[in-house]
Amino acid sequence: MTGCGLARAAAGLVAGLLLFAGTAVADIKVGVIYDLTGAFAAGGSKAAAIGNRIAVDMINEKGGVEGHKIIAIEADAQSKTDVAINEAERLLNDAKVDLLMGVFSSAQCVPMAARVDAAKKFMWANVCVASAVFKDKNLQYVFRPQVHSDQFGEVSCSFIAENAEAKLKKDVKAVKVAIIHEDGPYGVGVAMGNELKCKELGMQIALKEGYAATSPDLSALVTKLRRAQPDVILHTGYNPDITLFLRQAKEAGLKWSALIGHGAGYGQIDKLIETFKDDADYIYNVDPVAAQLLDPKTLAAGLGEITAEMVKRYKAETNAREVPTHVSMGFNQAWILFTDVLPRAIKTYGGFDPEALRKAALETDIPDGGTIQGYGVKFNPPGHPMAGQNARSSPVVMQFIKGQTKVVWPVTIRTADPVLPLPAGHAYAR
Amino acid sequence: MDCQLDMFFLEAILNGVLLAGLLALLALGLNLVFGVIDVVWICYAELVMVGMYGINSAYKGGLPFPLAALIGIALVAIAGALLHLLVIRPVLDTRPINQLLVTGGVLFFLQAAATMAFGIDFRNLGIRLGSISLFDMNFALARIITFLVALAAMLALWLFLTRTYLGTAIRAIAQDRQIMPLMGVDSRRLYLVTSAIGGGLAGLAAALMVLQYDIYPQIGLQFGPLVFMICVLGGLGNIIGGFIAAFIISQFIAVGSSCFHTEWGYAVAFLFFMLAIFIRPQGLFGGK
Repeated sequence: MTGCGLARAAAGLVAGLLLFAGTAVADIKVGVIYDLTGAFAAGGSKAAAIGNRIAVDMINEKGGVEGHKIIAIEADAQSKTDVAINEAERLLNDAKVDLLMGVFSSAQCVPMAARVDAAKKFMWANVCVASAVFKDKNLQYVFRPQVHSDQFGEVSCSFIAENAEAKLKKDVKAVKVAIIHEDGPYGVGVAMGNELKCKELGMQIALKEGYAATSPDLSALVTKLRRAQPDVILHTGYNPDITLFLRQAKEAGLKWSALIGHGAGYGQIDKLIETFKDDADYIYNVDPVAAQLLDPKTLAAGLGEITAEMVKRYKAETNAREVPTHVSMGFNQAWILFTDVLPRAIKTYGGFDPEALRKAALETDIPDGGTIQGYGVKFNPPGHPMAGQNARSSPVVMQFIKGQTKVVWPVTIRTADPVLPLPAGHAYAR
Repeated sequence: MDCQLDMFFLEAILNGVLLAGLLALLALGLNLVFGVIDVVWICYAELVMVGMYGINSAYKGGLPFPLAALIGIALVAIAGALLHLLVIRPVLDTRPINQLLVTGGVLFFLQAAATMAFGIDFRNLGIRLGSISLFDMNFALARIITFLVALAAMLALWLFLTRTYLGTAIRAIAQDRQIMPLMGVDSRRLYLVTSAIGGGLAGLAAALMVLQYDIYPQIGLQFGPLVFMICVLGGLGNIIGGFIAAFIISQFIAVGSSCFHTEWGYAVAFLFFMLAIFIRPQGLFGGK
């Protein structure tokens, strides 16, 4: 073989090795857990799962993360905590996923996060909101860009306090509030936030009660509310309890000035309108904002287009008229991981093992306006009482006005003036 | 404890009575089947769910509600008969645990089948019957109708079992499953008729529940445990016992929820149940 031939052979070998190395780029296996069946599925979990899936598709269409394709292995938690935990174990130990993400129910999130962290695996919580997931747990490998339940509780009380005199024509200290909630970690967490903040603001707590989300009858609770006569009802529930409450409240003649829900079933405006028609008008919902409601000009460049694409794909898949906020939650948190944390883990820390992901997550520093839901991302560091929770997340108050979702708080981003109290003639108006 | 003996307390108690009507109706069919065939239909509440979907489909398909309700009742009556023919009969002479397990299997099958057929969305007929007011108390008309229908169903079943030849035969086979076939009674036919009636009662409950509740594949879980507790408390298989137990349990729920936190209502009811069964394992009203 001539020198020239040897050089050609060597070049070919190198090229071949490079080609082999190129095709051998490892996929990133992501275990995605949502409730695709069971009561939580229609309460927003399925919508979040679709949002999550759209994010994966869009990333893969752009070539993946640093050349690594995202392989999402979906699991159905069936709205059962034990199934969720078993699926998490299966995904981590049998399917050997690199990380877990998703999870709708706080009842699933609390034990799952503790287990995953103890096993030193990486978990990215997209939807569940209970503060109890992180509070005083000092989790090292679990992160949540999503808002937490204490914030939910605080926001609704702040909204009422700011509007008490102008809208309710009452001093804030004269406002009577009732707090009702499902008795899982999600409902208890939000209700605790409600109670602390409303008391701090000087409001009267006329009633605070929990109930089982699967209760076949809430008439006793409705009767108690009739006796307490609150101006505002703060409600945290899933489905079917929300629809059962609204139905029995109407039949019993319960009236209020404002009903403020906190996510889950209250985020499903299409379903509420389908069931209650005009009676669903003017209900409030505290949640992270549905991305399509924000003015793209207030966000970082390019995020408006990403939101538009998400909305387009969701509507194409579901034929939905309104895009629930859970879609944004599922999409946004996944997008943050894929476009910010994962690239840093690969480039700076050499891969996507739990340690690399943890270090990369702790360095996340997205300013407000840097995600499609408006809030920034900066995780509380280890040692913090809420270590792993996004310190920059924030929910908003939305109101269903004439069948459309409007942002009514905070004032800086609101798209409508809140209708408060309920207008005369409304089924629940005093 | 915060029992305020006012009009609202009375409203809670009367609402408890109305809830008892629905629970008693649900317990009626289950007790009939157990009393006669000696098999517990774990999937009973899921048959109700099937009826609710059937009524919803018929109503949304353009039929008036009464006709849709009749179709739903017939559908679940047929489902009850098929359940006996295809699932119960093959294991009727085996150990009771086998019968329990196969109906448990049917429960999961029906839930999964409903999820695949109808999806995860909550559905409802959109029918609102309103409510009536009495001394500043309000009661849903749908619940009042349910209560009255439950009473009527109880009476009709009693008349059927005591005044008709077929009913008498059913009672006879319930008393002695070994001897009656030797006297020429066709037990297979009687079991089939009983299963159809049990299913029909589940269909009747479905027709009333669609006026009060959303329809979704897991709705059985909302009622199933409570109805089984009522049946056991009244004495499994004892139709009158189950009827009375429904009123006892619903009052524990109503008064417990009024005097304590709402979630305590169910805790108090279950505590009473445990104590009652501890003292009388055969149920408050004994066997059949």
